[in-house]
Amino acid sequence: MRKFWCGFFIFWPIAAVVYSAVSPQFNWWFPGPSVTELGQRIDNLFYLILIIVTAVFIGTQVALGYVLWRASHSKAERAWFTHGSHNLEVIWSVVPSVILLFLALYQMDVWALFRVQSFFPKEALNAPVAEVTARQFEWRIRYPGLDEHGVPKKLHLKPQPDDLYTVNDLHVPIGRPVMINLRSDDVQHSFFLPHLRIKQDAVPGQIIPIWFKPERQGNFDLACAELCGWGHYKMRAQLIVEREVEFQAYLQKLRADQNYDGHATPSAVAKKDE
Amino acid sequence: MSVRWQSLIVGLACALAGCGGDGSQMRFVENSTLAKPVHRKARVVVTKQLEEHFGTPLNSVAWLKLPVKYGRAEGKVTAIEDQTVTVELNAESADLTGFDAADFAGTELLLTSGANQGKTVTLVTFDGKKKTFEMAASDVVPAVNDQFVAGGNVLRHGRKLYARHCQHCHGISGDGDGPTAKYLNPRPRDYRQGKFKFTSTAGPAGKATRDDLRRIVGQGIPGTYMPAFVPMLKDGEMTAIIEYVRWLALRGEVEWQLLGQFKEDYAADRAKKEAKEPVDQAKSAVDQAKLAIKEIDETIKANTDESKKAELDGSKKEAKAALAAAEKELDKAKSQMSAKETEAEKQLDTQLKEFEKAGLAELLEEVTGDLADKWNAVEEEGALIIPEMARVPDSAESRKNGKELFFGKVANCVNCHGLAGKGNGAQTEEVGKNLRTGELYPAPGLYDDWDQPIKPRDLTRGIYRGGRRPIDLYRRLTQGIKGTPMPGAPKTLKPEQIWDLVNYVLSIPFDPSTPKAAPAHSVVGQSGEKGHAN
Ligand SMILES: [Cu+2]
Repeated sequence: MRKFWCGFFIFWPIAAVVYSAVSPQFNWWFPGPSVTELGQRIDNLFYLILIIVTAVFIGTQVALGYVLWRASHSKAERAWFTHGSHNLEVIWSVVPSVILLFLALYQMDVWALFRVQSFFPKEALNAPVAEVTARQFEWRIRYPGLDEHGVPKKLHLKPQPDDLYTVNDLHVPIGRPVMINLRSDDVQHSFFLPHLRIKQDAVPGQIIPIWFKPERQGNFDLACAELCGWGHYKMRAQLIVEREVEFQAYLQKLRADQNYDGHATPSAVAKKDE
Repeated sequence: MSVRWQSLIVGLACALAGCGGDGSQMRFVENSTLAKPVHRKARVVVTKQLEEHFGTPLNSVAWLKLPVKYGRAEGKVTAIEDQTVTVELNAESADLTGFDAADFAGTELLLTSGANQGKTVTLVTFDGKKKTFEMAASDVVPAVNDQFVAGGNVLRHGRKLYARHCQHCHGISGDGDGPTAKYLNPRPRDYRQGKFKFTSTAGPAGKATRDDLRRIVGQGIPGTYMPAFVPMLKDGEMTAIIEYVRWLALRGEVEWQLLGQFKEDYAADRAKKEAKEPVDQAKSAVDQAKLAIKEIDETIKANTDESKKAELDGSKKEAKAALAAAEKELDKAKSQMSAKETEAEKQLDTQLKEFEKAGLAELLEEVTGDLADKWNAVEEEGALIIPEMARVPDSAESRKNGKELFFGKVANCVNCHGLAGKGNGAQTEEVGKNLRTGELYPAPGLYDDWDQPIKPRDLTRGIYRGGRRPIDLYRRLTQGIKGTPMPGAPKTLKPEQIWDLVNYVLSIPFDPSTPKAAPAHSVVGQSGEKGHAN
């Protein structure tokens, strides 16, 4: 029986380590490398913590296994008891504190880039591409209108007559920092782009800017990561990263669709009095 | 298409988890509002017909008379070996592709020619490449060259998707009364009238096209709880859901028509009324006799001529005798009432049975034919409302013209939408009459065809439920919103005037003269609309 428990407690940590090690091969891990460089850095932070806790985990498990194994082999040797060691306590308080402090300082620039507006790339901060409004149970998206050259205008906080609307379909250009303004119409939602390692709560009454610089073209999931009601699962949208020209063409098509009046060529929509 | 046969059964096997027990929770419910005034026996007939032609939610019937694309495949048997039937599909029925072989488990293959014409065999799988069906053991053995119909996968697929995504609001029967419905405002659509609000087709009776439904399911309805289902639902899934919704709507419409017909002929209180008729007649005879006596009494009182007295007394006697006879007649009628009622019930029963044998099939034929015509008509080319001219450029002048129309007597938008376009016009304060029942509505304001209170759109919000494209607004303005008090514009308005109105309406949210703060005006339960412009 002693051997059984010895084996039992040694088996599980080994199984956990093996499971984690093979996970990426079976797609039980991140959904591929991050589409943004910042996401890559967030991954790196994650891996750093993972390595530290894995080392601690393996160390403690090996110690535990060793104790169990030794005890199961000798009936003569008795366990000894201690009522505290000041030195040990200092060590296991100071060492984790140092590690935590190191992590807190080490991640600061990533955090600042991700969350603190003064660190956002200026070009993104000054020209948000779209406003994304979460509502039960969809993502409503508003792009600014286009000027006479087909270039997006400035996005205003208040809706403008020539704004372009779409739902569940967020297009952004590749290779430059873009920012969206996140809002909520009703309850708390969470804007989750797993491939970009972005997760940000949408809070009613607040406009929360989120920036990212997508480096890979493709169609990525946009999901809600905050249980927001019975239709929470329905908030499945897509983020489409495309080349600048495609993005512009998309907006132009959006404009043509939105101005469709039943005749093949969308009529000229001259806003003469604005 | 040849409709020698009626329908094929599209079973939805209960193999999937989450479908425990006998599936008794999954039942179509009767349209109780409509059924109430109908005799219970006639209601049973309707329920029976619906079950025969539509089945149950888990065992749907693809009634081929309905304008629904079930995913039907037609063809002929080319070889048969044990349980494997090799077939050749007709060129136009290639819609079996794209479905899992497992989708065919439990569906039926209906033979439409040969010795077994009209009989069915149950299928196990379908191999799309080899064009073979595997059939379950059966007494019916198809022969080479037999024609057949199979499939119905679209309906099956739609059923599953509807259950997952739509049912909790729109209900199993499409009655807009699923478990989450009561928390929503506006209420989810009740499909059973076959009415859909936002269509691109003409008139108040115009059905929704498949594209209309696709647009609503795909893009959602801003300002309501109908969410957008794209990109979650893929193309084939959308098709399946749309066909299923059409099927449910048609089921509701058939029920509607049958109950409407039966309400006339087999009213719930028919026997009672018939039995009461002699009593009522006797009663009025008694009343008349009493009145006659009273009149004679008055004449006697007023009479001063002695010579006439005897004559008057005589007629009073006569009148009294008549009253006694009438009273006797009344007693008799009263005592016979229950027997008469039983008799009338019996008569109704016989009549209904006869109708079931003779007239019902004809009625169904008429109803389905009419529905098929209506639903098919909107899919035809030219059914879409396309303005005669392109949009009038959105200029200050055009908006000014539109504004004049908005406030004018002809379009009279202001009556409902209000001076500031906030949806609080004079009409919203008036008590209206329910045109269907002839009764007054319980509270002032506007009501829709589902008897729900409805508020005219607040045009200052920039939320356009039926879509914000100029074409959408043009269609709303010219055709109205189906099932609601929003009428189509009078025919006297020219297309350019409609465009002026469109331009004005689109400019309202940005009109600086529009008061910004919303007044705390409330018409019963219209607090649900949220959000900024979208
Ligand atoms: Cu959500």
